[in-house]
Amino acid sequence: MAKKRDDKDRKRQGEKAVSRRDFVKTGATAGVGAAVLSTSGTALAQVSPVEAIKWHYEADIVVIGGGCTGLPAAIRARDLGASVIVVDQNFDLGGKMLHSGGWVSLGGGDPLQQRDIKGEGDREGFVTAPRQHSVEELTEDPDFLFRDHTDWSVMDTAAQAPYRYNERDLHRAYADNCYATREFLMANYVRFTRIQGTHGNGGMSRARRATTFLMEGPATDIKKGTITKQDAGIAGKSSSHFAPRLMTDGAKIASPGARINGAALSRGLEFSAREKGIRFLLNRHMDEIIREQQFSGRVVGIRASYSPRFDPQTGARLESLWQNGNVDDRTETIFIRARKAIVIGAGGHGANPQFRSMFYPAWREPAFVSSGWALLGPRGQDASGIIAGMRIGANLAGMQQNLAYDSTFHFPGALATRDSYTDMLPGHPTFPFRGSTGILLGSDSFQHLIVVNQVGKRFFNELFVTRRQGGAAFPAGPEKGQPKRGLQHVQLDWRNASVENIRATYTEPNSIHAALAMNEGSKAPDYLSGPVWAIFDRAAVERDKWNIDAPFTSPTNGFFFSADTIEELAAKIHKGHEFQRVPLTSLVETVRKWNAYVDKGSDPEFGRGSDAPMYRIEKPPFYAASLYPVWHDSYGGLRINGRTQVIDMQGEAIPGLYAGGESSGGGQQHGLGRALVHGYIAGTNAAGEPTT
Amino acid sequence: METSAPPAAVTPHTTSVVVWDVPSATVAGERFRIKVGIKCSNECDLANTDFGIYDEEGAQVATGTLPDERWPGTTGLYVAEIELDAPAGEGLYTWSIKGHAEGFTSFGVRVVNAPECLITVEAVDRITQTPISGARVVMHPYKAVTDERGVAEVRVAKGAYKLFVSQTRYLTFALPVDVTTDMTARAELDVEPVLERN
Repeated sequence: MAKKRDDKDRKRQGEKAVSRRDFVKTGATAGVGAAVLSTSGTALAQVSPVEAIKWHYEADIVVIGGGCTGLPAAIRARDLGASVIVVDQNFDLGGKMLHSGGWVSLGGGDPLQQRDIKGEGDREGFVTAPRQHSVEELTEDPDFLFRDHTDWSVMDTAAQAPYRYNERDLHRAYADNCYATREFLMANYVRFTRIQGTHGNGGMSRARRATTFLMEGPATDIKKGTITKQDAGIAGKSSSHFAPRLMTDGAKIASPGARINGAALSRGLEFSAREKGIRFLLNRHMDEIIREQQFSGRVVGIRASYSPRFDPQTGARLESLWQNGNVDDRTETIFIRARKAIVIGAGGHGANPQFRSMFYPAWREPAFVSSGWALLGPRGQDASGIIAGMRIGANLAGMQQNLAYDSTFHFPGALATRDSYTDMLPGHPTFPFRGSTGILLGSDSFQHLIVVNQVGKRFFNELFVTRRQGGAAFPAGPEKGQPKRGLQHVQLDWRNASVENIRATYTEPNSIHAALAMNEGSKAPDYLSGPVWAIFDRAAVERDKWNIDAPFTSPTNGFFFSADTIEELAAKIHKGHEFQRVPLTSLVETVRKWNAYVDKGSDPEFGRGSDAPMYRIEKPPFYAASLYPVWHDSYGGLRINGRTQVIDMQGEAIPGLYAGGESSGGGQQHGLGRALVHGYIAGTNAAGEPTT
Repeated sequence: METSAPPAAVTPHTTSVVVWDVPSATVAGERFRIKVGIKCSNECDLANTDFGIYDEEGAQVATGTLPDERWPGTTGLYVAEIELDAPAGEGLYTWSIKGHAEGFTSFGVRVVNAPECLITVEAVDRITQTPISGARVVMHPYKAVTDERGVAEVRVAKGAYKLFVSQTRYLTFALPVDVTTDMTARAELDVEPVLERN
């Protein structure tokens, strides 16, 4: 029987939360007599007084996190002559960027837009595909991009305003640095495809987005721009250590033989960083940022603890793909001094139930994880960068913006896996943590099943459970909430936000909220909603041609069950799933009722039958597959200015402290672009800090 | 101090009954076949055990017998196929099955009058205009599947329906139709868009 997550686990989750008692206790235990200061109603003590610290390492710049903020920041600072140490809690570099699609929206007349406008290929001659957009759709300047990103008038299909709350100073700097960032990336082994569209919340008016690629070749060679078929991944069979997710065909937007996704971006930057002499302390979680005084003075370094991960089957420590530049220090706690600056690129808060429930109490449910949970490990996306900033007086920004983008949290539609956003196949060292790739279904395939909550009751029309539109972005149009499409879109036009337009374009199904709602199994004090299950039968598998075999499902990871009868199925879920805290007492009756609705041809409870045919759940064996929502993006975090300096409660920059990407708030652009630009800006300015 | 013997182990026999392959529509008075599966939670040997099928009034309409062998791939499910006579009048009837240790389930029997109209449906990909074979055509309660030419024929009674044509990786095609005579319909299906994962 799987171990249940009970109140003790909930309390352990709670220990991550910021509390006065914990800090006072920690300080007293350590015997350092920590001062407890009170600011804005929060009492937090710096655990490590500067004068008592014996530094283990030092560098000009200490970068926290080796992902899409940290790597460009590190490389940029190194290019400008600084020595750089990068710490990352995981065993490998890349963070979420490594398993991303690799799409990067920049714009403002960046070098890629100009390349496509001219119809040119890349320097190496790989890109032969024709451009995807007209010259007009690619032509703009930073002022135009800035207006797009701060347009008060844009309302999306959920009647949210994605751009009006963006920090002006931050987005002015973003627009002014897109050109330099794209150029910087291309100079560091990042190869871009043609531009194709724009990311959600990347602007409504122009095409700005391209992904990254490597060419299939006899060897994986970053300098030559090639990758083996094995490293790029075999469809339906294997991923690789190089690329946790299958790199897909990029023929249409680059050339035949191009394989695309975030691995081409992440590994390119990593290769460059290692080549340039940046040092890496992996398996190293930043626990504290140390300032001269807790709420004043410069930041001077960090405290970090050893955070190795071990293969659950062999017990061996997981190791990074490449090792050159690694510092393999297994000391439990170390202190690292930053002579110039610290850059926080530690990712977001999507895997911290206490933090994310600031935005939405239902997300205190610990079962649900951040995207990339298996890849990033138990301490990935844990809000530690933000919390460390808060401890030394940092302000926050954009806290409400989590609720204004539909992939912040959503149902990606992958059954039978906890990590439902990513489709990792066996071959990457972290696959054993998830055990299954998952069965990825389009929302139309949900006509073949029903979805139930932790007590076995349906809660919504299944056809709408995973349906979402994506963010408001070019080429605009009604399906993105706008009255006009493409080049016809008018920036700052009040008609974009008119009641008539919102009425005409609103399509938010709100199904995720029904899934997260309290139910008969929810208990005080947190009233957790519990897991969600897709229930179907053998006939559904045959009808819609689902592959329910390994590695798409696992018979042992507790996310997929089969049984001869519904009664047995309910019992197996309760016994075998770690977050199934209560029996599914209603499941038998729910299936009986559903079958009766099918016989009648209509569903009086949730309206099925009007959009798609209905099918009885009747033919054994019967199946239950988890349908987990995921917290994907993190919006809301440390407030930063246009120089990416972290801002305190008085509106002043904290000397020497920078942040970006999902550790920062005040910008709501989906995708990698904002983090990469933040990293570029942070690296530039951090390198220019005085040496202490 | 009073002592007592440990309680005797009591294991209830909970029986589950499943029924499948019930036709979605059966013409009044005609015969149809269903499959009945019965399983005891204690995995009792149910070989050659009888079960009864009852109509809405509780009258027994048939008796079945479970086979010697368990259903392949299961731990204790015994499955029998049985032929039944549909009621004489159209409508949706709720019949029930009773078996071992109070095992019980109910199922719907949809009885229709003999269909008068032939609906011919052609399913194609909207962009490529190529036939979509294996697509499911549903005009509740009538069903069919398209052949290699993307064509399916459905015989239905006159009346108002919603015609659905669905296939894996396509958005379901839906069209209200009022059937008064033989008809043909062309269903152009759009590929379901795949949202990016970045």
